[in-house]
Amino acid sequence: MRPQPAAADAVLEVIDPGLLTSVQDLGRPDRGREGITRGGAADAWSLAVANALVGNDAGAAALECTLLGPVVRALRAVTVGIGGTMAARVVETGMLVRPGASVILEEGWTLALESPGTGGARGYLAVPGGIAVPVILGSRSTALGAGFGGFGGRALRAGDRLTVAAPPDRRTPPAARWPGEPAVRPGPVRILPGPDAIELPEDALADQPLVDGALADGALARLIAGPWLVNHASDRVGLRLDGPTLPRRLSGERASHGVVAGTIQLPPDGRPIVLLVDHQPTGGYPVLGVVIQADLPVLAQLAPGASVDLRLVTPGDARQALAERSLAFDAGVSALREAARWDDLWQGAGG
Amino acid sequence: MTSPRIVPFGDGALLVMLGEDTSVSNARRAQALAAAIGALRLDNPGLGAPVPGAASVLVPFQPLATDIREIAALLTPVVAAIPAEGDAVPADVPALPRVEHLLRVHYGGDSGPDLEAVAAETGLSPDEVVEVHAAAGYEVMFLGFAPGFAYLGELPAGIVVPRLATPRVRVPAGSVAIAGTMTAVYPHASAGGWRLIGTTTVRLFDPEADPPALLRPGDRVRFVPA
Repeated sequence: MRPQPAAADAVLEVIDPGLLTSVQDLGRPDRGREGITRGGAADAWSLAVANALVGNDAGAAALECTLLGPVVRALRAVTVGIGGTMAARVVETGMLVRPGASVILEEGWTLALESPGTGGARGYLAVPGGIAVPVILGSRSTALGAGFGGFGGRALRAGDRLTVAAPPDRRTPPAARWPGEPAVRPGPVRILPGPDAIELPEDALADQPLVDGALADGALARLIAGPWLVNHASDRVGLRLDGPTLPRRLSGERASHGVVAGTIQLPPDGRPIVLLVDHQPTGGYPVLGVVIQADLPVLAQLAPGASVDLRLVTPGDARQALAERSLAFDAGVSALREAARWDDLWQGAGG
Repeated sequence: MTSPRIVPFGDGALLVMLGEDTSVSNARRAQALAAAIGALRLDNPGLGAPVPGAASVLVPFQPLATDIREIAALLTPVVAAIPAEGDAVPADVPALPRVEHLLRVHYGGDSGPDLEAVAAETGLSPDEVVEVHAAAGYEVMFLGFAPGFAYLGELPAGIVVPRLATPRVRVPAGSVAIAGTMTAVYPHASAGGWRLIGTTTVRLFDPEADPPALLRPGDRVRFVPA
């Protein structure tokens, strides 16, 4: 492993790492053929919101926090943006920073990320310029399974000191608020049928609802009947769902093929697994469905014990949902910049 | 024999299925196709990095930058140019220099806790299993499962055994394993369901190296008893 950047310029010190806190950006999407998982933020939307609050690009490296938040101390004054479903509290002032807001920490102040409210699993903490760790294989993300990237290839521990890259030129208000929903609202997770769940029609690319076929016992129908509970053995690799055992008539392994985050696999025990960002690049289990890209942030915020419904949609629905998500993000970023401009004018007027 | 099919895999990927069987021949076809699709990325920014599998290629794309039909139309002629299943496929299709690797292996004992069981199941002695495993030459078919994890084929029929019914929670790094018609080395400690017959000290994945994975598709591998 490469040595970490000099801790002398450190901005944040980890007092308590929480359950699982790691440095993540948008991961390594181009390395699947080398067996390297994409990784990166489990909830890329919330990472992007946290980054936008401090003027960063959507994919700058930030801290991903899980279920039990970390406590960090500012080693010098720094603005932090909070995304996802975990609020943060400034210990010295008692001030509560809700997800979708930023706050300036004075030197020596400590910030405690609180447990997510109902229906959440992950919070994101961004600093202007992003967390400075070496770029390895094209990303600053921590590959927790293989132990490389991020901060020394591992989750953060007490005493770790984090440095930041050069702050961006972009201005944001000193106490910014994301104008829309900070995290994607929980709700039914929308899926498209997978190649093993349906009898593919002659025109497999047609934009039409497809009916349950190849798993003729109705595995897909039962999958969307739900409800499902997220098993406690779930992690960044995948969510294990508890519910009715699904029929698995396809015998043996399929020839291993590439998979994506959101793939719903059916292993031999008949209990589905929904892959998240740290999934293996290839898999050999039958694929019942694939979660639409717009709903990947919803998946990432499902805590163990949460209930989830899966709903079958059409490719057209998926496209529209993603387009809406993209527009909402652009609108949020524009509103933040507008607010920064007003702030500049106010300051300039001597107010 | 099946003709290739292009099917949707969610709203951000297509799966090109070239055949059903896990074989060196199908893996070579998949590697050739992935290389050809990779070459299209320069002119098609919405196209993601293809992931070759045992007999298929996953092709991710940006759903808002392009359209699933556009990508399918782009792929169709490239897929048609791949040799049909069962036809001879030149070994150098991925256009990579083929490297020959000799991996020294400590077989059996604590280094290969499943060797005895594999011997019992195949009706061979442990020494004979080692002999068969080390005598064959293997080809890297594709990578997956974990960084640098290379699926090597094909295993001689005499030592083909199923994977464990219940995977191990922890397989040590460097474990040499077999399952079905394939053999592999675990680059990192991880969970795993393959049968462990030996251990090598060779480092298979170095994130600081270029390329980071020691074994590349098309490379040849021989195991040498230490």
